[in-house]
Amino acid sequence: MTHTPSFAQQLIASIHEISQPKTLSKGEFLLREGDVERNFYWIETGAVRVFYLSEYEEQVVRFGYAGSLITSLSSFITAQPSEFYIAALRKTTLHVVSKPQLMERVHANQESLQQYVVLLENLLTQQIDREMDLLITSPSERLRRVLQRSPLLFQEIPLKYIANYLRMKPETLSRIRNS
Amino acid sequence: MKIESSLLIDELQALTEKSSGQVQKFKSLTDVQLNFKPNPQAWSILECIEHLNLYGDYYLPEIERQILAAVGKPASPVFKTGWLGNYFAGLMQVQDGKMKRMKSPKDKVPSHSELSRTTIDRFLKQQELLKSLLQQSKAVDLQRTKTAISLTKLLRLRLGDTFRFFIYHIERHVLQAERISKKQGVL
Repeated sequence: MTHTPSFAQQLIASIHEISQPKTLSKGEFLLREGDVERNFYWIETGAVRVFYLSEYEEQVVRFGYAGSLITSLSSFITAQPSEFYIAALRKTTLHVVSKPQLMERVHANQESLQQYVVLLENLLTQQIDREMDLLITSPSERLRRVLQRSPLLFQEIPLKYIANYLRMKPETLSRIRNS
Repeated sequence: MKIESSLLIDELQALTEKSSGQVQKFKSLTDVQLNFKPNPQAWSILECIEHLNLYGDYYLPEIERQILAAVGKPASPVFKTGWLGNYFAGLMQVQDGKMKRMKSPKDKVPSHSELSRTTIDRFLKQQELLKSLLQQSKAVDLQRTKTAISLTKLLRLRLGDTFRFFIYHIERHVLQAERISKKQGVL
């Protein structure tokens, strides 16, 4: 779901130098609620979902798949316990960049710092898009907006998780997709 | 059975704390231990807990609704059980470590595919909500406030009895889960 501006591209290009590879099997957790997020992840293959757990259900807030940068952002920024889980939707290989490693890159020079700001601005814009999604009542309009941002969603993510992300029943999603 | 309302709530709070503490311990078990079935027909630890979550999905919102609707009406210092509510609660209750075997309704049988460690986290969140509802219920009449039950639409139980039924039911299956962990020689 993440656009990759140039800092991100550079980061990804140099990721093998500073990251640890990690493989998750289907269903395995990268992070659990209550853990402090200390890393950024770049996904090479596979897919993950970031979700919140209430007393009654899991609510997906974000997906990541090949090429995405993903983290439990607020916990990463504040070093407070994460409210979210990150779990693999299928076998996933990713690269783990720790916060100190990332920050070293960011502060290496003026240019990378500026580009990091661009990356954060992008994430902020995406959050506002997501907030808009949730305010829009029409299910088909909600789906249209998400597909505009993420055209590959249905190729990457099982339908029931997309439905959950869009806050609709899987049956509703199937119906509006086929109409 | 007749009991002081505040005494009943305190007892149920203590029982809820105890069940939470026991399930908290399951967090240290491996996935294999959590999914272990003593025999093919028996439930695993996670299945026992998901079964409780399914009951919570029904009862917690119902209890919450009825408490909200009853707030402001006078509470009563004494709670008297209804005969049916007392019967249901008694069926669930563990007596000296013994419990009657029974079959769960089909819609409350956990489907194995959905289970993971978040099953435990979800249960613990439900327990926190339950503790808060017990606390809130001190301001309402446990006898006059009625709740629907999952078994049939024809009956409603006194809130005090619903709490007893619901919390004894949790105790029963947490004990069942503990026995499964003991069979594996863990905890």
